[in-house]
Amino acid sequence: MNTTISLFLLQDGVINGAIYALLGVTLVLIFAVTRVIFVPQGELAAWGALTLAAFEAGHVPGTAPLLVLLGLCCVFSDMLRQRRGLNGKWFIERGLRDIAGPLALWALCIWLAPQKPALWLSVALTVSLIIPMGPMIYRLAFAPIADASVLTLFIAAIGVHFAFTGTGLLFFGAEGSRTTAFIAGVFPIGVLMVKGQSLVVLGLTIVSLIGLYIFFDKTLRGKALRATAVNRLGARLVGIPTQSTGRFAFALGAGLAALSGTMIGSLTTISYDSGFIISLKGFVAAIAAGLASYPLTVLAALGVGILESFSAFFASAFKEVIVFSLIIPMLVWRSLVVRHSDEEDE
Amino acid sequence: MSASLLNLSNVSAAYGKIEAVRQVSLEMQPGSIVTVIGANGAGKTTLLNAIMGVQPATGDMYFAGEDLSQMQIEARVANGLCLVPERRELFSSMSVEDNLILGAYRLGARAIATGLEEVFGRFARLKERRRQIAGTLSGGERQMLAMGRALMGQPRLLMLDEPSLGLAPRIVKDIFTIITDLRSSGVSILLVEQNARAALHVADYAYVMELGEITMQGHASQLSADPRVMESYLGLGGHG
Repeated sequence: MNTTISLFLLQDGVINGAIYALLGVTLVLIFAVTRVIFVPQGELAAWGALTLAAFEAGHVPGTAPLLVLLGLCCVFSDMLRQRRGLNGKWFIERGLRDIAGPLALWALCIWLAPQKPALWLSVALTVSLIIPMGPMIYRLAFAPIADASVLTLFIAAIGVHFAFTGTGLLFFGAEGSRTTAFIAGVFPIGVLMVKGQSLVVLGLTIVSLIGLYIFFDKTLRGKALRATAVNRLGARLVGIPTQSTGRFAFALGAGLAALSGTMIGSLTTISYDSGFIISLKGFVAAIAAGLASYPLTVLAALGVGILESFSAFFASAFKEVIVFSLIIPMLVWRSLVVRHSDEEDE
Repeated sequence: MSASLLNLSNVSAAYGKIEAVRQVSLEMQPGSIVTVIGANGAGKTTLLNAIMGVQPATGDMYFAGEDLSQMQIEARVANGLCLVPERRELFSSMSVEDNLILGAYRLGARAIATGLEEVFGRFARLKERRRQIAGTLSGGERQMLAMGRALMGQPRLLMLDEPSLGLAPRIVKDIFTIITDLRSSGVSILLVEQNARAALHVADYAYVMELGEITMQGHASQLSADPRVMESYLGLGGHG
């Protein structure tokens, strides 16, 4: 192995790491605000890639009817739960938000898809199809048990993951797809040939992370999310509605997952079930940072990406094993170093 | 009846099978300071939590004529109820200023600006430390921040749970001065205290709570002269 090869591996590692960073940060964000470990994030990322691929092929993506289905489920479950206070106004409001909105997006897709929309438009459509899924998942699976223990929420999240893998197969079929790169071509930088897509991935990730930082540090909404994460009771006592904060966190998480999905599509072949492994690597990074620190998660994600690309070179059959084994020393180290705090304590 | 700000009748609250508050009835007039005194474990904190909706409770609760029983915490906050809990429940990893800003979360930018000005006017210490992380404040400053955050929400009824707990005597004096100041600016206060002497000194009306029940009530000045209260809560036993 020489310097050029290691530089190439490093480049690959950083690019994958950037995507894991985005996914890991999303996991930390959703966990902090709602205490849900967002397992189905991987499915949303895969759907992002598959949706973009469908637009490129000129098909209507499966995500469009899926969103309508989820909307129907939400209205139905709200109806069962609410019973009292059901009236015309309620149905019109919910119908507009949860059914008419998704239907309109579907119609837009049916109209635009055969014309093979421009890349930026496809990405925008993909993200806007997946963002509403976040709050819908939250309302269906997590809001009714929002005060349950972390373990209960985690089990519900695994349930959603399985349900989504199945629906993914139903709506997208079994075969995998690849998308074309955002920027085709290769740029020579020194001895390195840097792929255009790599620059896009790195750029979009950095912009998203900076955007998140500004959002959390400067805006009232972002501060309210942080406050909910720091102290749920305190947040409720000042009138921050924790349910809508949870929905918002899920919307943000779904958007970031979809964005990562659109970026992975050209790096590797994605099928309905490949999201899980990808988000699991984000999860390793998030765990390494104790599900608490955003900057540490980013660092750990870069580490995971680099480790993965080097192990792919030296022992490609054991690539995943090496990456996931990393979690054991991480957990041991954390349990030794970090002061133990019981979450049920608060 | 209709003029009263808060009206509780036969309110009970339980943790599992243990009834911490039993059949409590309580009434308070707008613009007054009402105190609930009692020993540790008498159910005072549970009572406040029940009024705020943090703790499920049975019985009738009306605030300014509105039925509280079906309201979530958020709706009670929107109606002007505000609790400063014993544990303060600050956003400890955020700055003093952010804590205050979030106190007016539901009111919007203009209320935040005027609220900050008012709170900084009242608590000069908080202004000095506005950029400091809330978790690094001293006990007295944390209590001031908790009260400041509560005031940012423009409450009609401020409920204070043991505001003097764990504070140095000089700071306790400051806190009680602030409480009387607040009343003169139109905020009604429901004060729960173990420091009965200080509480009775500032309050208009007082309730004594023992083992989850209200055992005595009356004007604060009358109660502080009552031999039973003097003996049990004011440490003046042996004379009565």
